[in-house]
Amino acid sequence: MNDSSAQNAQEAELARLIVKILNLQVPAMEIDPETPLYAEGLGLDSIDMLEVALAVSQQFGVKLRADDKDNVKIFSSLRSLSAYIQQNRGT
Amino acid sequence: MSDKPLVQEWTVRSERGSLPLIRLGVWIALRLGRRAARLFLYPTCLYFLLSSRKAARSSRQYLERALDRRPSPADVFRHYLTFASCILDRVFLLNEQIDQFDLTVHGEGVMLDIMRRGGGCLLFGAHFGSFEVTRAIGRCHRDAPISLVMYEENARKIRTALAAINPRLEAEVIGLARLDSLLTVAERLNRGHFVGLLPDRNVSSEDLVRYPFLGTPARFPRGPFRMAMLLQKPVVMMIGIYRGGRRYEIFFESLFAPSETAAADADAAIARAMSRYVERLEHYCRAAPFNWFNFYDFWA
Repeated sequence: MNDSSAQNAQEAELARLIVKILNLQVPAMEIDPETPLYAEGLGLDSIDMLEVALAVSQQFGVKLRADDKDNVKIFSSLRSLSAYIQQNRGT
Repeated sequence: MSDKPLVQEWTVRSERGSLPLIRLGVWIALRLGRRAARLFLYPTCLYFLLSSRKAARSSRQYLERALDRRPSPADVFRHYLTFASCILDRVFLLNEQIDQFDLTVHGEGVMLDIMRRGGGCLLFGAHFGSFEVTRAIGRCHRDAPISLVMYEENARKIRTALAAINPRLEAEVIGLARLDSLLTVAERLNRGHFVGLLPDRNVSSEDLVRYPFLGTPARFPRGPFRMAMLLQKPVVMMIGIYRGGRRYEIFFESLFAPSETAAADADAAIARAMSRYVERLEHYCRAAPFNWFNFYDFWA
């Protein structure tokens, strides 16, 4: 494992949340933060994404908006989603 | 339900007829009016009947189940004609000429209840009869906007066709190509919109569950039901049956009410709602067999 594939604390928390709500078979700590969440990465589909978005808003109070042009980027990996949450938390 | 390429049978085969033809058809229909335009349906159906054996075979296969007997060539023609009639009427309905039609509505109370409470709901239809006619009723209620969710491929075509008929309605279509399409659905529901979808097509979704349907198990997508449960919005089944002439019969019935379930037994609630949907769909297929518009091997 090199540095870029290690989760930081917030990424680990988010990974646990995603694994829990979606019942994924992967252990949370083994999710590479740079792996895409959807399609060939973790294989999440658009309903999974909705579930993640709802859980993120509940747990972190961060709302993902349909009209955000950066959604594809935000959802591109555990890392980018976690970064987005940290930026928008408590604002 | 994802952004993967859709390669299944019906999406590849796609809806036949090109856009300039659709435009021309719309123009002719609106110029001539419904009665004269209907005359064109007979040669058109005959042409499609003779030119695609695959669709005709699917029609026979379905009709045999729904009618409980071997369908005659006249049955298959009637099946096509019902389909074509509904498509033609869509032009008039989208053009807000609802007064042309003779409509009977059942279960309107279900909708009025939801409208009174506000907060939107999901409308589950099927490729059966006319979804458009039910939508047209909704459009009369200005305070209850309707959006329609569909696969991107179809969404693109329909937007183009709408541009030719009633451009104001383009924004009502939500395509599924985008990752955040469902966030749009959630936001519109929260603003009190009605959001319609047709969860009978069993293609381009990996999450399919078999339910007994007209004698043999068929696969149905679980996704839309999962989404409903996640969003905790009421789900109403809506079916618009074409009864010939200018007559349509519209049915609303409740499939799922969010208060019924705790999050803990979401899977059971999804299964209940799905099995109810399939049961009711079968009921409507028996009640109005020629209104079924899935011209592909549904039981594959």
